[in-house]
Amino acid sequence: MIQDFLTKLKNRQEFDQSLDISPYAKMMGFRLMREGGELTTVMKFNADLVGSPFPPALHGGTIASLLEMAALMQLIWTIDMTDNRQPFPKTIDVTIDYLRSGKPVDTYARAKVFRRGRRFATLHAEAWQADQKKPIAAAMLHFQMID
Amino acid sequence: MIEMPFNPELEVAKGSGIIANGAITAFLDTALGAAAYDQFETYKKIVTLDLRVDYFEKPAAFSSVIVKTRCLKITEQAVFVQGDAFSKDETTPIAHAVAVFSYEEMTTSVGGTSKDSDGKSSGDVGQIL
Repeated sequence: MIQDFLTKLKNRQEFDQSLDISPYAKMMGFRLMREGGELTTVMKFNADLVGSPFPPALHGGTIASLLEMAALMQLIWTIDMTDNRQPFPKTIDVTIDYLRSGKPVDTYARAKVFRRGRRFATLHAEAWQADQKKPIAAAMLHFQMID
Repeated sequence: MIEMPFNPELEVAKGSGIIANGAITAFLDTALGAAAYDQFETYKKIVTLDLRVDYFEKPAAFSSVIVKTRCLKITEQAVFVQGDAFSKDETTPIAHAVAVFSYEEMTTSVGGTSKDSDGKSSGDVGQIL
């Protein structure tokens, strides 16, 4: 399902597409964006994402979700989705470092595939808000590529 | 022990009954943060510094998720917490999480950055709960 969704997007150099094919992604306000060939996952700000009201800061769990979604999207984007033998990657673990507090604005995340082996893939993801050089969180993720 | 009831909004794919990994991660962050918060007599602002989640298996369909937490250590600056998430079967965990939280006195001022006991601004460190 998500493979078909991404395959359609692959032919387009620029897009800003809602991820509402998944109820969870819809609830979180996740979007996929592509500018200059790079895939970016966006979490649109919504008052429900706030974990602490004074001063308003995003809930850490929402940022963890965003980073995981960004990494998964980047991984499926990278692998050959036309190969039917390729099962959907399974998350093995995520390790998140929270670097700055999340302001009540839109949050962006981008992931990089460090290594994609036959059995496992290792990715690194970063989330930022106003300035990409000042990430609010970073994550290391492992995915299992075979059943 | 904290429970997150099943809700169709948390499904990874419509009608699958499987709660998204992200929702479980967010729930573990909340549960472990609550466990850290629970270690103090007075109100403390709990800030996540680091969270690691290992996924063992996917949750049972249409099942709620519960988390059992354990506080490992409280130091002057940090609280170390771990927890296991369970789905239908309350004996085999579906995920395990380890987190480190920092804490500071709760401030109720709106806007501005809070100061910790050293007087240093801590507004840009970490993530609230």
